[in-house]
Amino acid sequence: MRAFIAAALLLAPMSVHAADGTRVQVKGEIIDTWCYYSGVMGGPDAVVGSAHHTCALWCSAGGIPVGLLAEDGTVYMVLKVGADDASAGGDTALKLAAHTVEADGMLYERDGLNYLIVSEVTTDSDIVNRTHEDYGTIPAFAFPDPNK
Amino acid sequence: MKIALSTALALIAAPLAAQDFSEGSKARSWNLYAEVPARFEAKVVDVTCELTGNCVEDCGAGSRQMGLLRTADDVLVLAMKNSQANFMGAARDLALYCNQTVTVDGLMIEDEDLNVKNVFQVQTILVDGADKPAKANKGSKLWAADHPEAKGKGAWFRRDPRVKAIIADEGYLGLGLEEDKTYAEENF
Repeated sequence: MRAFIAAALLLAPMSVHAADGTRVQVKGEIIDTWCYYSGVMGGPDAVVGSAHHTCALWCSAGGIPVGLLAEDGTVYMVLKVGADDASAGGDTALKLAAHTVEADGMLYERDGLNYLIVSEVTTDSDIVNRTHEDYGTIPAFAFPDPNK
Repeated sequence: MKIALSTALALIAAPLAAQDFSEGSKARSWNLYAEVPARFEAKVVDVTCELTGNCVEDCGAGSRQMGLLRTADDVLVLAMKNSQANFMGAARDLALYCNQTVTVDGLMIEDEDLNVKNVFQVQTILVDGADKPAKANKGSKLWAADHPEAKGKGAWFRRDPRVKAIIADEGYLGLGLEEDKTYAEENF
């Protein structure tokens, strides 16, 4: 019985804090995770790409987590890009808003979320997702009326 | 022995059972598709520090994403948003409580379709011993303190120098100023 209890306690994950990182290479779009997950601006297809570029800038500058939306739908929460560890409102991530990139980095999985420390953006394809052709701008006021 | 066995089994089962943290929550609904009110005690942590051991003073003072290490189950909840409806995250508000144990109230986003859980919009923060919780709405004031050169009327995000510089260079769509011109001609 003692052996069973000991084994059970060893299996319990309550004391695990530090996660081990895994080296990964991922390709995807740099997104605004709050709008993507909350649905506050609409469905996930509308809050990516050119339609959402300005809002993604606002959210990134405001410190909302930036994510990398991979081609398979996985979202990686970006905690660092190269030497810039300002994961909330940092300059490097801000400039990549809505860009499609290839990144090399370390992946940390914790409690259902994927966190990514990007060592290097190996390819920056700029904005290739022309969602404004289908959705306009999201939100609409992101593009000011030039006649006013 | 029975108690020890029960405890051991409970430790195994705990992560398997979804816990309900909505009891006692006074969080205001934002009418979000997958919002779930949640009130829980947690340690306020710098997520990068927590995951990698790369730690800085004051949890980065708003420059790093902040997490809430929940007391009840040791789950790391990512704080994505404060209570302001103006594109502000939670990092500035929560960094004020770096490494403190507090009780937060707000909205969890749990969406099986998008395969997301443990992300949170924090609305209030209660420090042990305080009479009432503080509102998590200081982000834009702290932004203003960091950007005295951008003082003026209107929303902070319209005045942010970095955002303005990128839009001036790449346009609102991010595709260049010619694309913006075409879009404006077709839509206004």
